[in-house]
Amino acid sequence: MSDIAEAPSPNVPDGAAGTGLDVRSLGQILYLGGIGVVALGVLLWLLAQWNEGGAGEAVDAATGTITLSLGGEPPQLDSTRGTDAVSFNILGHTMEGLLRYDAENRLVGGVAERWEIGDTTATFHLRREARWSNGEPITAHDFVFSWRKVLDPVNASEYAFILYVLKNAEAINNGEMPVESLEVFAVDDRTLQVHLEQPVPYFDKLVAFATYNPISEAFYESRQGRYAADAEDLLYNGPFTIASWVHGASIRLEKNPLYWDADRIRLNAIDYAYFTTDPNAIINLFKDGKTALAGLVAENLDDALQRRWKIKRFSDGAVFFMEFNHRPERLTRNYHLRKAIQAVNDSPELVYKVIKLPGNLPAASLFPVWLKGVDGYFRQEYPLADPAPDDELGRRHLATAMEELGLSEPPTLVMLIGDSPTAKKQAEYYQNLYKQKLGIDIKIDAQIFKQRLAKMTAGDFDIVAAGWGPDYDDPMTFADLFASWNENNRGRFDDPELDDAVDVARSSSDPKTRMDAMARVQQILFDEAAIVVSYERGSVYVSHPRLKGIVRRAVGTDPDYTGAWIE
Amino acid sequence: MAEGTLSWERVQVEREVETVSRPSLSYWQDAWIRLKANRRALISLYLVIALVAFTLLGPFVWTVDPAAQDLDQISVPPGADRTATVVGDYSPWRGVTATATADDGGELAAPVSVSVVDQPTTNSVRLRWDPVPGAGGYRVYRNRYDPEPDGALGLPIAEILNPVNVSFEDRLDLKAETYFYSVVALDGRGRESPNYTTATAGVTRVITAAEAVEKGLIDNESDVQLGDTVEMAFHPLGTDYLGRDMLARLMHGARVSLFIGIVAPFFFVIIGILYGSAAGFMGGRADQVLMRFADFVVALPFLLFMILLRILFNVESGDSGIGPMLVAMVLLSWPAAARLVRGQILQIREEGYIGASRLLGAKTNYLILRHMIPNTMGVILVTLTFAVPSAIFTEAFLSFIGMGVAPPTPSWGSMCNEGLKTMLTTPHELIAPAAFISITVLAFNLLGDGLRDALDARMRATE
Repeated sequence: MSDIAEAPSPNVPDGAAGTGLDVRSLGQILYLGGIGVVALGVLLWLLAQWNEGGAGEAVDAATGTITLSLGGEPPQLDSTRGTDAVSFNILGHTMEGLLRYDAENRLVGGVAERWEIGDTTATFHLRREARWSNGEPITAHDFVFSWRKVLDPVNASEYAFILYVLKNAEAINNGEMPVESLEVFAVDDRTLQVHLEQPVPYFDKLVAFATYNPISEAFYESRQGRYAADAEDLLYNGPFTIASWVHGASIRLEKNPLYWDADRIRLNAIDYAYFTTDPNAIINLFKDGKTALAGLVAENLDDALQRRWKIKRFSDGAVFFMEFNHRPERLTRNYHLRKAIQAVNDSPELVYKVIKLPGNLPAASLFPVWLKGVDGYFRQEYPLADPAPDDELGRRHLATAMEELGLSEPPTLVMLIGDSPTAKKQAEYYQNLYKQKLGIDIKIDAQIFKQRLAKMTAGDFDIVAAGWGPDYDDPMTFADLFASWNENNRGRFDDPELDDAVDVARSSSDPKTRMDAMARVQQILFDEAAIVVSYERGSVYVSHPRLKGIVRRAVGTDPDYTGAWIE
Repeated sequence: MAEGTLSWERVQVEREVETVSRPSLSYWQDAWIRLKANRRALISLYLVIALVAFTLLGPFVWTVDPAAQDLDQISVPPGADRTATVVGDYSPWRGVTATATADDGGELAAPVSVSVVDQPTTNSVRLRWDPVPGAGGYRVYRNRYDPEPDGALGLPIAEILNPVNVSFEDRLDLKAETYFYSVVALDGRGRESPNYTTATAGVTRVITAAEAVEKGLIDNESDVQLGDTVEMAFHPLGTDYLGRDMLARLMHGARVSLFIGIVAPFFFVIIGILYGSAAGFMGGRADQVLMRFADFVVALPFLLFMILLRILFNVESGDSGIGPMLVAMVLLSWPAAARLVRGQILQIREEGYIGASRLLGAKTNYLILRHMIPNTMGVILVTLTFAVPSAIFTEAFLSFIGMGVAPPTPSWGSMCNEGLKTMLTTPHELIAPAAFISITVLAFNLLGDGLRDALDARMRATE
């Protein structure tokens, strides 16, 4: 926006030339302007036609290259410090940890060839042929170095907590013990021995997470603090290497010839030529044949149907919910106020009428449907009774809450949300719902991601529209979210029974006991209305018809092109 | 002189002298006559009056709540069909189960048949199909177009992870049209079979009696029987992405837009007049200093100032930003008016008739009131009318980027912002507010044009 004082100013002192002329010239301008607009429209249409003719560049079979868009520039690619989806996606293609997920989401060996996980110990035997992109072999020392780095308080890694299962890890991260006291040892170059604080039944799933990736100490030191800041400041051990990284513009991955399983990789190069999160821009790129994959939003669905695209769906594993602030000074600490809001919540209405995108599921439980339980799916084994919305019950709870809080009329609450259009749309839906059903006024506080996170951490909200995506493939990744000690429990929900249940689920090695405990967590969260679950997120997307073997998954690298090929 | 009295009598002249005169016209009368002669300006004037009436009187005539969400009529264009059949209350469907059979390893067949259970309605479409031997699950697709001949099955609407379940209830954004549902079997690893079976469902728009009462379509549930038709709520300009009435939102949005559009220019033009005439009248060094300060104000970045003011006013996100917007516009927009007025005053000050007035003993006050103001009035009014559209644009822009009104309060700018996202599928959400902004801006501009011609004192002299 430029200065508004520069608005079209009347040329008055010289304007005496005559009325007729001015009006005529205005008419002419309008007329010419009209012609100009039409001409521009025709030109744009021609351009669009011409572009559609040129479709197909996104997948180049001759060179084995695919072109894609990326949701933004990775801040840096140091696996010990990464937190964002974009970084993890690039790391998933260029790096490999001890274990990885295959195309059917089973855990298979990565750098580790064999592994034994006992109660409180785990031993990983590394492959002889696993090498860094400079030809050096990957040794157990690389893991010890990188894990110490993650836990070193100086490094301030946000994902350090995911290593807390290692013996002494938490104390090291809190600065109470030296990093050398981490009980992870390189017995020899190819044997890594790990001691755990307590039995961790899902430890194999944890080590597939990018924060557990190895780093070559010699290389790290040689970069003098610039490690992973640029393509040449990084050593790769995964299926691809970064051939070029033009900051703010593009990233190009090329096949890593030194990767131990290079025969598996059939693409020669992945070109992330566009950094954007705008769904319409990505769809237009796809229409023009400039990207091989595009997510759809509700507004594009009709267009996609008309074009007869083959639409695919997947669940990205995340659950979205309204999280209450349980800090003592907040109204939302009142049980009945939360119950009132929970009672009027109508997840199917939100999903089917407002979000309108297939793949999203109505939900009442924090645990999404795809999580595995004892034998089958957790939610099929431990269903949560999902009551229909009950406005009458909601109003009764509200009346009790107002009495307890000494309010004469329904309160005004601040709802903290992200700044995306969908977040705003949902917030406006909730604003109206709470107003209509309960008379509660909602002030919508839309913030960019960082600012929202800061406000969540500071507790500067009554209700926050939050979401949680899984880090590893075990219900635990959701279950401990509202434990009193969890930093990500932004509303400071504090319930000893829930803490107990989480403890049982964490340490027991019997699947049935664990899942029973998880079910208790599920029930407590619902009964106490610690959160009100909005929906499970899913997505629909289209991909280039010749590009096969893309893997979409809830846990792990997504989308995963390592097994993709061009037909 | 003694002889008699001579009586003189004035000779009566019978014939009146022909007079050529007309009633004297005031400045304003003359301006009005000349404005009336300008058709464009006149139409614009009526448009402006109509807009004001729309804003102030509209909400009394069209009493729909602009924040009320009609979730059964989301993004409905104007003039859409809105008859709905009354049905019984919705109750969840328990679905159909069948025994799953083991995987025989071969390619999975298509379900023998897929059928629609019950009447397909906008509340739900219920499908069931025959179990596929060896299936590990099913995927259900929905299309608005026939999947044949190229097997474009459409939207993957559901994934059934348990092979025992051979039914699905679709409730996702159902419209009153015909859908093609296709069911595909998945193998144990979730891979899709290329074989599918399609069923069609002609969906009818329905409403339950309870909903009809809640929405105020009927008074009592007993007024209607199952199978009766009722008309859904009427939205003359359609609804937006949350089913809110566009007409009501445009009326309420106009309050914000026109309030900013008229109040802000009014204040900054007054400041401009005072400042500009002071500078012009004093002249010399004072004029230099004043105008350099005006240049400085022009150079201040508006957006930055606006953000600072929001902080100063302690506007939290979620509160309306109209107050700081108004202040920022007034504080930053006056220099344009001030420059014009100053230029005009400087020019008039040197005119011969001013000198003549002075020689005849005119005081400063008289000079200003009789000569200066009428001669600058044209400029002032024109600046005002041209400032109105620019202020409306600014409000629209700021609301567009989210610094203006707080939801659910609408403004034309924020409505455009929301409409833009669905421009291709439901263009009416963008067209209506955009048309209102365009018409308003055009009307004020043409009116300003007409006023300039009508009020220019010198043009009067040339006639």
